[in-house]
Amino acid sequence: MSAQAAAAPPQDRLVTFFHYVIGCTPVLFIGGIIVWVAHLIRTSLRLHDVQSAAIGISLVAIPVFITLMSVLLYVLWGIIRAGREPS
Amino acid sequence: MAEFVMNPADEVLLDPIRKTGAGFWFALAGLLTMVGFGAVAYLTQFVNGLGATGLHEPVSWGFYVTNFVFFIGISHAGTLISAILRLSKAEWRRPVTRMAEVITCMVLLVGGGQILIDLGRPDRLLNVIQYGRYQSPLLWDATSISAYLTASTVYLYLPMIPDIAILRDRTTKYNFLYRVLALGWRGTQKQQKILNRAITIMMVVVIPIAVSVHTVVSFVFSMTLQPMWHSTIFGPYFVVGAIFSGIGALIIAMLIFRKAYKLESYLKPIHFQYLGQLLLVMSLLWFYFTFAEYLTAYYGGEPEEMKVFFSKFTGDFRWEFWSMVGCNFIIPMACLTSLKKNPIPRVLTASIFIVIGMWLERFIIVVPTLSNPRLPFRLGSYMPTWVEWGEFTGSLGVFALFYLLFTKFFPVISIWEIHEGRHEGVEEVMHRVKSYLPDDAEHAPPPQQQPVAIAAKAVVP
Repeated sequence: MSAQAAAAPPQDRLVTFFHYVIGCTPVLFIGGIIVWVAHLIRTSLRLHDVQSAAIGISLVAIPVFITLMSVLLYVLWGIIRAGREPS
Repeated sequence: MAEFVMNPADEVLLDPIRKTGAGFWFALAGLLTMVGFGAVAYLTQFVNGLGATGLHEPVSWGFYVTNFVFFIGISHAGTLISAILRLSKAEWRRPVTRMAEVITCMVLLVGGGQILIDLGRPDRLLNVIQYGRYQSPLLWDATSISAYLTASTVYLYLPMIPDIAILRDRTTKYNFLYRVLALGWRGTQKQQKILNRAITIMMVVVIPIAVSVHTVVSFVFSMTLQPMWHSTIFGPYFVVGAIFSGIGALIIAMLIFRKAYKLESYLKPIHFQYLGQLLLVMSLLWFYFTFAEYLTAYYGGEPEEMKVFFSKFTGDFRWEFWSMVGCNFIIPMACLTSLKKNPIPRVLTASIFIVIGMWLERFIIVVPTLSNPRLPFRLGSYMPTWVEWGEFTGSLGVFALFYLLFTKFFPVISIWEIHEGRHEGVEEVMHRVKSYLPDDAEHAPPPQQQPVAIAAKAVVP
């Protein structure tokens, strides 16, 4: 934590903490969906159960979720960091 | 740091957050009653199982799947329409987009919940998470709806950040919430650049996702070999129907909040005229797709398909079918063909009938096919019980309640986009229109006389 942030009032520090939580949400939420899709591929491979469908659908779904996560990380962290720069 | 100077006229957009009138409490009480009725119905079903509903073999899908398709369709009002309007730089979009985007997020939650209700035992959802099979179009649905909900929530939140910062700086109510959600927004050039870039990316990404969602919803039906479901045009047919019902729902929401929050100077008759014209186009498209769908079935003349076909045209489902045609085509045609004078009552009438008609359309797709199965089951009939009506009422209540509560925390019209429209939009549009037009004589580059002269010389013998 920077010296400026440490000197901030407790409520400001709480706000900063929540900003970081929001910044991490895409990784937790969208990352969770990607892990779930990967789990379904693994299950289908393990059980030899329509692997082609699992891989085919996932090839479309996973890049979409990765794109969404990238955009979100870019915009959330970009705004948070730009807001902390001295004016 | 860019200083945001709010136009005093725009203070009215903050009034619903600052003040709470008697109307809000009446609306809240009404909606809570609806939600309570839905909760009682759900508890009854939870305790007694799906036997409390009218669902049975062979009609195992009824109100819940109808509602699922209907609500997911309504969700197309928001993000898709908003993205198209932004992408095409339609200036009249500014007071419309936020309301549309909110509909999407709220209604997707309610639509997804219908499947949970239809499961009967909600714990069975864990099986989908743990052992889901991608062979099933239902799981494709779950994946595409997750993507759409995520994209729509992001697409709603990003343009709200500058407005949340305005609320943070101008209100004392919920200040901590606004400070958190504003993400330290100060309106610096760098922040503006990042936000604009992200909104641009999202509006391109969200359109194919939205189209894919309702196409995938149609796959739940068209991937089967059931009569009148196994159709190649179901994808675009569902998307057209979704946009159609979505615009209808958006117009109703806009008119309710226009009246309740005194937004007449923002939501003008011209907005309803344009949306009414869109509605007219969608009505014609819907009619064409419906005609094409039934024509191909009739032309094929397969006996199993004809049973379903005639059950809709002249049989048990004739009332629902012809009411659907009336609501989705005849009444909109009568209301929307001339919108120059006093468009609001006509557009509202058409929208109400369209929303009812599109619900009937979803019902007409789901139930008659299951009542006339291809396999040698006995014929089925379906009569929803009070439990299904209760859950339908509750679902509508939950949607409206979420929407109402949203308007108590956030402005329902984007303040910064209106501000941008006032200060930059007019000039930008003038510049853009000039750039579309051919150059006039004053600004045109000098005519290329020399090559013409050379060419003239070449033809002279």
